[in-house]
Amino acid sequence: MRAELGTLAWVFRREFGARFDSASALTVTVVFALVAHGLFFFLGHPVGDLQLPSFWAGGVASLQVVFAWLPLLFVGLIPALTMGAWADERAAGTDELLFTWPLSSRASVLGKFFAVWAFLGLALAIVILPLGLVTASLGNLDWGTVFGGFIGAFFLAGACISLSLFLSALFSEQLSAFLSSALLLGLLWSAGLLVHALPAGLADAVNYASPYAHFFDSAARGVFELKDLIYHVSLMAAGLWCNALVVEGRRWS
Amino acid sequence: MIDMIHVHGLEKHYGDLRALRGVSFDVSRGEIVGFLGPNGAGKSTTMKILTGFLIPDGGSCEVAGQQVLPGEPASRRAVGYLPESTPLYRDMRVDRYLDFVAGLHGQERAERKASVGRVIDACRLGRHAGRRIGWLSKGFRQRVGLAQALIGDPDVLILDEPTSGLDPREVVRMRDLILELGQEKTVLLSTHILSEVEATCSRVIVIAGGQLVADATPLEIARSRAAEMTVVLRVPDEDLADFDAKSIGRDFAHVPGVARLVSAVDCGGGTARLVLDVNRAPGSVALSGEPVAELVADTLAKRGWKLSELTWQGDSFEAAFLEITDPEHLDHRARAHREATAKAAQPGDPQGKDETEQNEGETT
Repeated sequence: MRAELGTLAWVFRREFGARFDSASALTVTVVFALVAHGLFFFLGHPVGDLQLPSFWAGGVASLQVVFAWLPLLFVGLIPALTMGAWADERAAGTDELLFTWPLSSRASVLGKFFAVWAFLGLALAIVILPLGLVTASLGNLDWGTVFGGFIGAFFLAGACISLSLFLSALFSEQLSAFLSSALLLGLLWSAGLLVHALPAGLADAVNYASPYAHFFDSAARGVFELKDLIYHVSLMAAGLWCNALVVEGRRWS
Repeated sequence: MIDMIHVHGLEKHYGDLRALRGVSFDVSRGEIVGFLGPNGAGKSTTMKILTGFLIPDGGSCEVAGQQVLPGEPASRRAVGYLPESTPLYRDMRVDRYLDFVAGLHGQERAERKASVGRVIDACRLGRHAGRRIGWLSKGFRQRVGLAQALIGDPDVLILDEPTSGLDPREVVRMRDLILELGQEKTVLLSTHILSEVEATCSRVIVIAGGQLVADATPLEIARSRAAEMTVVLRVPDEDLADFDAKSIGRDFAHVPGVARLVSAVDCGGGTARLVLDVNRAPGSVALSGEPVAELVADTLAKRGWKLSELTWQGDSFEAAFLEITDPEHLDHRARAHREATAKAAQPGDPQGKDETEQNEGETT
């Protein structure tokens, strides 16, 4: 167990460091931060059930606008961060060495997952913290709801990352991995908008299955609930399990 | 000799393609074994199975006494592997990459530092340790690939075409490095450069169409193609008086590996020269490892004649390789090889002993 944690930590170190060496990862993170700040200050959130004015227009000391936008921003950001995680290994053939070194598939899958999750957590902090400081300096910001929203967004990101990594493992081209992942996350996000068009029972089921519903209805409003945590962790475990199956399945191919 | 690699009945399918068809072989400690075959023969598949990257559909393999099992990293500690395309993380510095590999091998800080230093010295990477792998030339990247294979100080090295794409100077350096490593480690080496095999390998395993078609020394394989053997011998004067080619021919009729006596000439001065047609049939003794020259010498000795010179004509390793991997005769060769191997493996009934006894019975 200790040895497995050790190898997991080494994969984490390598993958986390690689994100800082990747021009595309850094560029997309900077774009993510700039777009999030722009939306918060100037556009607000005029989409779906959660309609909110921009910070300057509304003059409310709350980060709810940025939390409301995060799920859609994740549709572009997360596939960009995960697309190369497995697809690149496969294209370059480095997975052949990775799986002949003495580490388990589980350690490599978890190491990659935690590296992307930690990098995204950092990107999230870079977005939220300056906004929080600016808002707090101009009004009475409730840091508790900011923290709840941050934790909720972080766990939502974890679930999305595990699904995207699974899709990355299915492809040997980064573009295919990116497109399939963006399509899946986009569909999950838009499910929240489409539920009104569905019959009541089906709408409830779709709403419950959507990871975004477990964010919009709670954490995005500053309330982080245990059932949402369980949902996101379960989705993460399912994504990682599928990822490990695909990776291990390559040995049989 | 202890078997460091034991492969038994390996089978692997890629869809409808049967890539490996019951491949079996052993490699002992300290051997440098060439693993040859045409493209698509199944070499890389076998190597990937040995390193644990692929799981076979049938058969088994052991490395350094550990069975290679899916999801079990233990056997992988005993193997250092350099894949054909030398896949490396090009965004990493050489020293950090090697440190990362050492970390995956479970080494602590001091041990990692020592290991990285050791392999950097062994692969002569000192001046490039701080450079990004992507900036290195192909030759140096190949050395980094070899360095990562050595980091856990494995007993077994599996090198898939380590000199592929290198310039001649780098090829010589890599060959010297492999020879140096072979003094301590067991090396299974795949290559298409046959001169490299003759220069570095003590034994050659040839695979074609997913089947083993030869397992012998490079010299034996070369001689398996040889058309003729010329023997110069010293013959007592009384024997030279009635030097009879027919009677000598009968002696050689049952010597395995010899098809017939072509000529027997009295050269004067107590010497004679025999020219023998060597049997090159698939699975012939030369291919299965039987020392034909020794059997010829034994046959001469029974007549009281002394062998003073023996030369082979037409023994080219390259020609032999092309012939034994000829797609038209693969099944026949593989079957003959299996039969020869099985016969040699029968306890208390080794092939050589059997045939020698048979010869003795017929020549006396």
